[in-house]
Amino acid sequence: MMRNGASKAIDNNPSDDICPVCKSNRYLNPSLQFLINPECYHKMCSTCVDRIFTSGPASCPVPYCGKTLRKKGFHKAFFGDLKVEREVDIRKRVGAVFNRRQDEFETLLDWNNYLEEVEGLIFDLVEGTKEEKLKAEERLKAYRESNMGDIEENRRAGLEQIEMEKQREKAEKEAVRQRRLAALREEEEEKLDVARSKRDVLERLANTDEDANKITQQAQKIILKKSSARRTLAESVESNGRARDSGLTIRGLKKKEAPIAEKPYDPFGGVDLTPSRYVLQEDYDNEWLSNAKSDTRHMAGGYSLQEYYARTLFEAFSGLGVFIEDEVAGRSLPAAPASIGTAAAAEASAAKVNIEYKMELDDVF
Amino acid sequence: MANSPLVVPGSGEKSTANRTKLSNTAAASNGATPEASNTSNEGGHDLAEQMNEEEKQKYVKGKKLGEGTYANVYLGHLRSDPSKLVAIKKIKIQKEYTEGMAPDAVRELKHLQEISHPNIISLLSVFSSKDQNLNLVLEYLPLGDLEMLIKDVEGVRYGAADIKAWMGMLTRAIWFCHENFILHRDIKPNNLLIAADGEVKLADFGLARSFSDPYRIMTSNVITRWYRPPELLFGAKHYSGAVDIWSVGLVFAELVMRIPYIAGDTEVHQINLICQAVGTPNEENWPGVSKLPEYTVPEPPTPVRLRDHYLSLFGTAGPEGVDLLMKMLILDPRRRITAREALQHGWWAADPVPTKKQDLPRNSGGDAKIGEDLKRRPGVLDDERGAKVARKLDFTAVR
Repeated sequence: MMRNGASKAIDNNPSDDICPVCKSNRYLNPSLQFLINPECYHKMCSTCVDRIFTSGPASCPVPYCGKTLRKKGFHKAFFGDLKVEREVDIRKRVGAVFNRRQDEFETLLDWNNYLEEVEGLIFDLVEGTKEEKLKAEERLKAYRESNMGDIEENRRAGLEQIEMEKQREKAEKEAVRQRRLAALREEEEEKLDVARSKRDVLERLANTDEDANKITQQAQKIILKKSSARRTLAESVESNGRARDSGLTIRGLKKKEAPIAEKPYDPFGGVDLTPSRYVLQEDYDNEWLSNAKSDTRHMAGGYSLQEYYARTLFEAFSGLGVFIEDEVAGRSLPAAPASIGTAAAAEASAAKVNIEYKMELDDVF
Repeated sequence: MANSPLVVPGSGEKSTANRTKLSNTAAASNGATPEASNTSNEGGHDLAEQMNEEEKQKYVKGKKLGEGTYANVYLGHLRSDPSKLVAIKKIKIQKEYTEGMAPDAVRELKHLQEISHPNIISLLSVFSSKDQNLNLVLEYLPLGDLEMLIKDVEGVRYGAADIKAWMGMLTRAIWFCHENFILHRDIKPNNLLIAADGEVKLADFGLARSFSDPYRIMTSNVITRWYRPPELLFGAKHYSGAVDIWSVGLVFAELVMRIPYIAGDTEVHQINLICQAVGTPNEENWPGVSKLPEYTVPEPPTPVRLRDHYLSLFGTAGPEGVDLLMKMLILDPRRRITAREALQHGWWAADPVPTKKQDLPRNSGGDAKIGEDLKRRPGVLDDERGAKVARKLDFTAVR
């Protein structure tokens, strides 16, 4: 809905010159001003509003209306036709709730369906019977409650877009101004050029004894060449400018990705290598190891028997739980391209059993 | 095959006749044998060679990314899908190891093929090309390494959250190695390569080995000097995953300071610097240290540095970060934090949250750098960082 330029209908329509409540007219009161309240859209003059509602909320003075109105709710009607005014108000209200954008939808069909549904709701609110209106109101309320977050987000996105639009407009204006300036400069330059070459020609005519016709023709050619060169230059500059402009609009339209809920940082990178088939003890009593244990030269270098225990136990258990049939079945899949990149590596490292079977190099060498 | 019983020493003429005959039969038999094998398997290859050829055909070798004394690195891609890039590390035949494969290559192969983790470079395939050159097909990591980022003080700015993210990836990598009983033994910033998605990957397993049996000695001459822990500098022959943790701690310190924290010119100098920076090891803070074969410490001894010292140097990592760093740089390897404990440390949960890998600062180091990184001989500093280093591994002592 375009809102620039207020309707002049108020001044021309004779029925608009009499207040329906107090019957005072524009002839007696030239400053007569009509106000409406979006509760019932009954028109009355500002004097009536002051008179009836200054002391607090009261019911509408129009017969059989009886809606409770407050002074705060009164404002000047924007449209001469109050039906239009009401519809616009409703559209505004619904639009603030159903503010999804097209890029939120998977397909154009979905978007169109959504638009149609919203339009149906608006029609019910505007033209529907009492029950339909109530039902539509109910739906609107339910939708608002269930989509609070999305609505807020889209509202913000909308504001951002308006901001972008403003900036773009500003940039465009600036570009136009620059172009105009450049054109002026160019004109000036061209004039200077022409003057200069004229002077040159005159000088040459005066100082040399060449054919006068030839010299003038040559000079003409030079001027033409220069101006055409300038034109192409200007064109290229302009096209550059345009490209930049379009880049700006595209950026403005770019879809904002919803932030993914962040998982806490896992220092282990999601890999768990705790042995599942045995529990590693702190220490094992073994005669064979006692020499090493008691030798300071051995232990001072940091030799860790725990590492040895871990390895020995791992090796003892490592064949278990591996089923060659399954491995062989998996082998027929193309392995080489999949093993490039971290995805495959991560996948392989996810399960302990896979680790030892990444490649079949043993077969080659 | 050429020795025929027909050769009889006799007159000149007879012998020439015999010789010609002999060469004929030799030629015939030479021709016959391969033919026979041709019928059994095509192309004169045995099964292993066929499979190798198949593997080799899967990849197309592209331009050379770097050349070194130890290996050449090429960019390559899958024959079936040219958009899948790989780095092919072709190990050069080395003078010392003409018989068989270079031990660096064996170590790299042996361990990389065993493990698969997002923070460890993945070995996709291995094949041998002509002259039995070994080719390792590795994941292509185009964004250079951590050292580049650390050194580019002007161009790259990073903060505590970025350091935490990198350290997380490094610690995970080393934890995974240790959980799979592998010691990396060459952790340093230029072995930490960066994948296209920002993920840091531990590379260069040329010095890696598995945990040792109690009575099997290991060489103490591993780990690039600046990142070498005191127990190795003192010549310990039995050690544990704690050696890697020390290196991780020094990488952490370097990430914060943006210069190598303990950068000694010689091994003795390195010990002196450790004594200054961390404290002098003695029987009190490290029982049994004086029994280590090459235990020498400078006089006068420096007391072990306290929290305040670290806080003043590494305050940007936050109090929790400093605590973790101190635990990684404990002199006594038995008390040093393990990789698993390090991952359970409170720093990871503390603020700031580690940067997501796609948001990490990066530097378009490009192809040249991965070439540079992969061709390097393990355990040495490159070019100006350690030009004076001469290092040769004594492999007779190990394994």
